[in-house]
Amino acid sequence: MTLAPAPVGPRPPFPYEGPEALAETIVDALKRVVDPEVALTIVDVGLIYGVTVTDQKVHVLLTMTSAACPVTELIIEEVETELDRAMPPDLLIEVELVWQPPWSADRMSESAKRFMHW
Amino acid sequence: MNLQRRRQNPPVTVATPWFTVTARTVLLAMVALSLLSGIAGGLLRVGVTLPTTADSAWLAHAALAHAALMICGFLGTVIGIERAVAVKLRAAFLAPLASGAGGLCLLLGYALAGAWLIVAAAAAFTVVNLVVVRRQRAAHTWLLLASAIAWLMGSLLFATGQGSMATLPWWFAFLVMTIAAERLEMTRLMRRRPGAQLSLHAILTAMLVGAAWSAVSPRIGGVLYGSALALLALWLGVFDIARRTVFAHGLSRYMAVCLLNGYGWLAVAGAAWAATALGAPVRDVALHALGLGFILSMMMGHAPVILPAIARVKLQFGAFFYLPLAALDLSLIVRLGLGTSDMPLRASGAAWNAAALVLFIATIAGSAVAWHIKHGARSVRQNRP
Repeated sequence: MTLAPAPVGPRPPFPYEGPEALAETIVDALKRVVDPEVALTIVDVGLIYGVTVTDQKVHVLLTMTSAACPVTELIIEEVETELDRAMPPDLLIEVELVWQPPWSADRMSESAKRFMHW
Repeated sequence: MNLQRRRQNPPVTVATPWFTVTARTVLLAMVALSLLSGIAGGLLRVGVTLPTTADSAWLAHAALAHAALMICGFLGTVIGIERAVAVKLRAAFLAPLASGAGGLCLLLGYALAGAWLIVAAAAAFTVVNLVVVRRQRAAHTWLLLASAIAWLMGSLLFATGQGSMATLPWWFAFLVMTIAAERLEMTRLMRRRPGAQLSLHAILTAMLVGAAWSAVSPRIGGVLYGSALALLALWLGVFDIARRTVFAHGLSRYMAVCLLNGYGWLAVAGAAWAATALGAPVRDVALHALGLGFILSMMMGHAPVILPAIARVKLQFGAFFYLPLAALDLSLIVRLGLGTSDMPLRASGAAWNAAALVLFIATIAGSAVAWHIKHGARSVRQNRP
C-alpha cells in the first residue's frame, strides 16, 4: 500500500529551506509587507531573495530596488514585525539586506506584471 | 553591502541614542524654521504681511532669501536627511545640517555665511550621492548624482551673487532631477518602451543646457529650459507607474493622484517658463507652478511614506489627505490663473497657497495623533491578560 503524500501548499516564490509546515505562514507574513509607492507586496516585487529556517532562527535575504531608498529601514522593520507575529516565539528573526545580485524586473511575480500591464 | 539586524522574540524595546534624538530634533527644527519663514517671506513679496511680523527684521531677510529658504533650507535639508537615512552613514547628515544652518544664517541676516553654508551642504550632498553610485551603478543613481551637482552649481552662483536668473534654473534642476531619478527607478516595474530612458536623458540634458545658457542668454536658455520641463511632464505622463497605481486604492492611489496632479502643473510651469523668456508677464506662474504645483504635490504624495522614515513618526492615512491637495490646486488656480493680471487676486491666491501648506502640516499632525490613538489602543488591548 502506498501512502498519499502529505498535503503541501504552493512552493514559496523564492528559495526556501526549512520545515514545509512553516513555508506558507512565512509567505503570508511577507506578503503583508506592501510598498505603497507601487501598490505591491515585497514578495510580488521580488525583493525576497530567500528564506532559511533552522532550529534557532528565520533568516531572510532581502534587497531593495534602489540604494537611495529612504524607507529601507521601515520595510525591514515591517518584515521583522510580521514574521515576529507569525513565527513560533522561540525562533529568532534575522533580516539581511543585500545588493547582489541587483534587483531586476525579471523577479516580479506574474500578478505584479499583470498589474503593471506587461 | 550587508546590513544585519537581529530581533528577539518577544521584541525588546531599545531606547534611541540621545545623539540621534538630538540630531533629529535639531534638523527637524531647522526644516520647520526654513519652511515657515520662507512662506512668510514669500507672502511679503506679494504684499501680504502677517500681523505679528510687520516690523520684524527676520521677515525682510526671509523675503530677500525666499527661494534659498524654500529650495535649500527646507527642501534641500529634507532631501539631505532622506539620502542620509538611505545610506545609513552618520557623516551624511553633515549635508542637511549645513543647509539647515545656512537657512538659519540667511534668516538672521548673515547672508554670505548662509550662502556658503549652502554651498558646503551641496558639496557634502554630492559626496553622499557618490556613495550611492558606488553602491549601485544604475541610471537613476547617476541622475541623483547629477541633481546634487546641479544644486552645487546653483549654490555657487548664489554665493557669488549672480542673481536669480542664473541661480534658479540650477536649483530647480536639482529638485526636478531628484524627482525624475526616483520616477525613472520606478518605471523599471513597467515594461520599458524602447527609447524611454534615452528620451529622458535627452530631456534632462536639454534642461541642464538651458540652465547653463540662462546665465548668458536668458531668452534662449529660458525657452530651452521651459521646453525641457514641458517635455518632462509629457514623459512622466506617458511612462510613470502612477498611471497604473492610480487604479489601486488607499495610500497608493493618493500618491498616484498627487504625482499625476504634479505632472499637470509641471507642464504649465514649462510653458510659462518658456513664455517668460520670450517676454510674457508670467514669471510668477513659471516659478510657482513648478515650486508649488509640481514639487509640493510630489512632497504631499510622498510625505506619508517618507516622514515615518526620516522623522520616525507613524501616520494614519485617510481620505482627509486629499483636502490639502485640493486646497493647493484651488489656491494655485486663483493665484496663477485669475491672479496673472490682477495683483490683489494674486496676493490672495498666495495667501491661500500658504493656508493649503498649513492645512497639510495640520493633516500630518492629525494623522500622527490618529495613528497613536488607533495603534496605541490596539497594543494596550493586546497586552491585556
